[in-house]
Amino acid sequence: MAFKCPACKKQWDVSLQVARHIFGTGDKKHREWIESQGVSYADLLVQQATNPGNASYQTVADLVEKAQDKL
Amino acid sequence: MTTTSLAKEKLHVINTHVHNIDGIAKVTGRATYSFDVKLPGMLYGKILRSPHPHAKIINIDASKALALHGVKAVVTGKDTLGVKQGIWRRYSELCDEQILPVEKVRYIGEPVAAVAAITEEIAEAALDLIEVEYEVLEGVYEPYEAMKKEAPEIHEGVERNINVTRHIEWGDVETGFEQADYIREDHFFCGGQAHMCMETRSAVASYTPEGKLTIYHSNQSAYYMQALMAGVLGMKEGNVRVIAQYVGGGFGGKFELDGAIFTSCILSMKLHRPVKVIYTREEDFIATKRRTPMHYWVRTGIKKDGTFCAREARVVSNGGAYTGMGATALYLTGFFHSFPYRWENYRYDGYRVYTNTLPSTSMRGFGAPQAMFCSEQQLEWIAADLGLDPIEMRRKNGHYAGYEVPGQAFIASCGLDEAFTVMKEWIAKKGKLPANRGIGFSAAGFMSGGIFNWFDTPYSFSSAVVTINQDATVELHIGATEIGQGSNTTMAIIAAETLGVKVEDIKVHSGDTDHCPADLGAWGSRQTLMTGNATKRACEDAKAQLLEFAYAKMGLNIVYDLDIKDRWVHIVARPERGMPFDELVTIALRGKDGQRIIGRGFYTPHRKGMISPAYSYMLQGVEVDIDPETGKIELLDSLTAHDCGQPINHLGLIGQLEGAFSMAAGYGYLEYMPYEDGKLMNPNLVDYKMIRATEMPETPIHDIDTYEPEGPYGAKEAGEGLTNPTAAAIGNAIFHALGVQMKECPIRPHMIVDALKEKAEKEKAGK
Amino acid sequence: MEKKIITLRVNKQDYELYINPKTLLVEAIRDYIGLTGTKRGCETVSCGACSVLVGDLAVKACSVLAMQCDGMEITTSEGLEDNGKLAPIQKAFLDEGAYQCGFCTSGMLMTTSGLLKENANPTKQEVKEAIEGNICRCTGYNSIVRAVERVAKGMYKEESL
Repeated sequence: MAFKCPACKKQWDVSLQVARHIFGTGDKKHREWIESQGVSYADLLVQQATNPGNASYQTVADLVEKAQDKL
Repeated sequence: MTTTSLAKEKLHVINTHVHNIDGIAKVTGRATYSFDVKLPGMLYGKILRSPHPHAKIINIDASKALALHGVKAVVTGKDTLGVKQGIWRRYSELCDEQILPVEKVRYIGEPVAAVAAITEEIAEAALDLIEVEYEVLEGVYEPYEAMKKEAPEIHEGVERNINVTRHIEWGDVETGFEQADYIREDHFFCGGQAHMCMETRSAVASYTPEGKLTIYHSNQSAYYMQALMAGVLGMKEGNVRVIAQYVGGGFGGKFELDGAIFTSCILSMKLHRPVKVIYTREEDFIATKRRTPMHYWVRTGIKKDGTFCAREARVVSNGGAYTGMGATALYLTGFFHSFPYRWENYRYDGYRVYTNTLPSTSMRGFGAPQAMFCSEQQLEWIAADLGLDPIEMRRKNGHYAGYEVPGQAFIASCGLDEAFTVMKEWIAKKGKLPANRGIGFSAAGFMSGGIFNWFDTPYSFSSAVVTINQDATVELHIGATEIGQGSNTTMAIIAAETLGVKVEDIKVHSGDTDHCPADLGAWGSRQTLMTGNATKRACEDAKAQLLEFAYAKMGLNIVYDLDIKDRWVHIVARPERGMPFDELVTIALRGKDGQRIIGRGFYTPHRKGMISPAYSYMLQGVEVDIDPETGKIELLDSLTAHDCGQPINHLGLIGQLEGAFSMAAGYGYLEYMPYEDGKLMNPNLVDYKMIRATEMPETPIHDIDTYEPEGPYGAKEAGEGLTNPTAAAIGNAIFHALGVQMKECPIRPHMIVDALKEKAEKEKAGK
Repeated sequence: MEKKIITLRVNKQDYELYINPKTLLVEAIRDYIGLTGTKRGCETVSCGACSVLVGDLAVKACSVLAMQCDGMEITTSEGLEDNGKLAPIQKAFLDEGAYQCGFCTSGMLMTTSGLLKENANPTKQEVKEAIEGNICRCTGYNSIVRAVERVAKGMYKEESL
C-alpha cells in the first residue's frame, strides 16, 4: 500500500519514507502537521540529530500510518 | 565516453598554450580592483561592529560622531528598509539577514552602524564616538548546545535554533546493512576555513540624483549583487549597476551581500556622493563568512570482498548566525559524501543549526571537502580492517560513464578508473618509505554548476551576446564573473574556436550588469560548462548568419559544408577554397543594410537530475613526513589524477589545480579557526596559518582524457573539485605512516602527538 | 605631528610629498602618488602584497615609513616595464600563468625581482624562501617558482637586450 504525506500528499511505499520526507522538507507546512499530532517537531529533530538510530523517524512514521484513513 | 578522433582534430584554439587575456593588466599593475577605485568627491566609510555575540540594540547615539569635523553621515539599521535578505530567495524563512540589523546582533563583528567621512582616519575616529546601548543576551556557540531546550533563541520563532534540514536517500539502507559482512561507524569533526581572498571585501557606491546607483564591488556574481541590492534598497534592478571588473579572489565567499557593499550604498544614497568601504584583514576574518564546520557521523556496511552495501551519514553543522549559502552546502555535502561510488543504498540527514558565531557558507568544494575527509578516511580504515587493497576496493565500486546515481544524477563521462591506475603506479614507484613517512590518496568528484534555482532567477542560468565588428574583431558580452580563475580567457578561447578566429580577436566584456547579460556568476564550478555553452551557442548563431552570405557568395551546392578556422572561411572538403573572414563580414554587413552581426546564446540545464549537468573526477595523492615528537607535518610530494573532460584553457587548468591543492592542503592541516565565547582567536595572517611557498610540494598533474557530452567541446568542472580529496589524502598518509586515525581537521600537531600517545598506551595495555 | 616634505624617487620619477611623518611607504605610493599597482592585503606585515624595491632590496611597503625612504630609489610593479616593453620577470609570469586573481602579483613580481638582483641563479628552495613572506591564495606558488626559474635560466635574455 502507498502512504501519503499528510501535509503535501506526496506518496511513498513505506511510511518511514514519508517520515524522512517530512523531516527532510522541514518547511512550515510539514512542521505544523507534526505539531498538530501533539509531538514537538524540534524535540524529534534534535533526538534524531544527536542519537544513533532512527527513533524519531519511527515515531513520525507511526503517526503517518495512523493519519492515512483521514486523508 | 572518450574523445573521438574526429572531435579532437577539429580543435584549433582549445587547450593550446594561451596567455590569460587579463595577463598584461595584472603583471604591469594596470588592473584596477574595487579596492583601488577612487571617484571624484569620494568619501570613506567605516563600520562599527558588535563586540557582543548576542545582544539587543537598545539605542544608538551618533551625535558626538556627527559633530566630529569631516564626518558626513552615520547610518544604522533604522536608516534602512530593514529587509531580511538571503540568497535562498525562494524560501522567505531562509532570508534572515539584515546587513545592518535593526533590533539585535547575533555574532561578534556584525555591523551596527556605518560612518562616512572625508578621510578614512576621520571615519575611524568617529566610530569611537558612537554610543551604543546593548542589552547583552546569552550566547550559544556550538550546534549541539544550541539545540538544547534551554539554549537562547537566536532567530525569533526558530525552535531549538534548527535552521535547515536536508534529507537524501535512495535504495533500502536497512536491507543494505543486513547484507554487509562488516559495518564501521565513525564520528568526525571538520572545522571552518577562511576564504582569505587577497582583496578584502571592497565596495565603492555612487548614488546620483536621477535615482541611479553604481557600485564597484569585489564579488563573484555581479548579477546576484544587483538583484540583492535592488531588493534591500527597494529599487528596480535596472537602476542598480554593479561593476566587478577585476576581483582579488572569491573562493565561495563573495556571492552574498557583505557589509562593504551594503553600507557604502546606504551612505551614498543618504549623501549623494560616492562612498568607499574596504575591510581591513581583521574585518575580513571576523565579519564575512567561512567554510561550514560540520560534525559528521558515518556508518558504512561492506562485504568481505569489498563490495559496498550501504552507507548512512548524519551531519550537524555550525551555521553561525545566518543562512547565506550554508543551506546549499548542507545539501551538497550530503550528496558528494556518496561520491565517487555506486552505493546501492544511501541515506543522508543534515541539520544546520544557528549559533552566535560567524555565519558559515559555501567555500571552494561547497561541503564536499568535509564529506570526503570523513568518507575517504573511513574507507581507507575499512580496507585496512578487512585486508583489502584500498585502490582496488574503491575501483570496484567506482562510478563509470553511463551510471545513474539513483534518482539524483546521470554520469555521462567519468575518468575515475584510469585515475586509480595512475595513482597505483605512482604509489608503487615510491617503493618502501623511511620511518614516519606515508603516502595517502583520496578520490572525489564534483559538479559542473548547480541545477537548483533557489535564487529564483527568471533569467537563463547563463547568457552570452557576441557582436562582430566590421574589421572582424569580436565583442563577447557575458555575465560570468572573472575572479582570477580565468573565465574571461576560457570564454575567449571557446569563442575563438567556435567562430574560427584567434583569441586576440576577441574582446571579453564581463562583470558589468549594465552591459552584460545576466548570469548566475562564478560559483559551484558553473561557468566553464554553463557560460561556456552560452558562449558557444552565441558564436554558433553569429557564425550561421555569416555563413549564409558565404554560401550565397560562393554559389555552392548545398551539400557542401562551410566552416571558418584561423580567420579563413572555407569549404570543409576543399579547405584551400574560401575567403578571409573579414571579407565575409564586409559582405554580410552590406547584405544586412549595415546591421551588425549579433549572435545570442543561453544555457539552462534541463533533464539533468537534481544536482548538476556533469561531474568531474579526481584523485589526489600526497606523500608526507611527520615528526612524531612534535607532530609537525611536512608535505613532500603529490600527484593529481584529474578528469575534467576536454581541457579548454591549458595554462589556466594547471593553475587551478595547483591552487586548489594548496587551499585544500591548508584545510587539511593548517587553517584553523578557533572560537572562544563567540570570538575568533586568530583573525590575522600571523596566527592564521596557511600554505606558504616553502610548504608547497611539487604538484605533477595527470590529465585524464574524457569527453563530456553536455559541456562545451566536451569540457566540465576543474579547479573547485580538487579541493575535496586533499585533507583526507593527508589523513590517510598519516594513517599509513603512523597507524593513527585522525578524525578532526585541520589535523594539528598536538592531535598527532596525542594519538601516538594513546596508541602507545593501548599497545602497552595489550601486552 | 608636524607634516614634512620628502622626496621619493618612484619608478625613476621624483615626487615631492608633504606628508605626516607616520605615513607608511605603501600609503605614500598608493594614496599620495596614486600608483595602485602596489596592493595592501593585511595590517600585520605578513602578506607581502605591498612589496616594492627600495634600491635593489625587496621591502614590504607597509613595514617602513615613507620618511625613511626620503631620497631613495623605489620601484613598483608599474616601473618594471620600459615604455610598453615588459621585463623578463613579467614575461615569465605570463608564460607560466603565475598569477590568477592578480592581487598578490605586484608584490610577487617585486619580491622575485629583488631576489634575482641579489642572486641571479637561485635554487628552487631559495626562490621559495624568498617568497615565503608573500601570500598567494590562488596559484599554490609553484607557477611563480617556475617563472623565476625561467628568468634565471636566461630564457628572456636576448629579448631583453
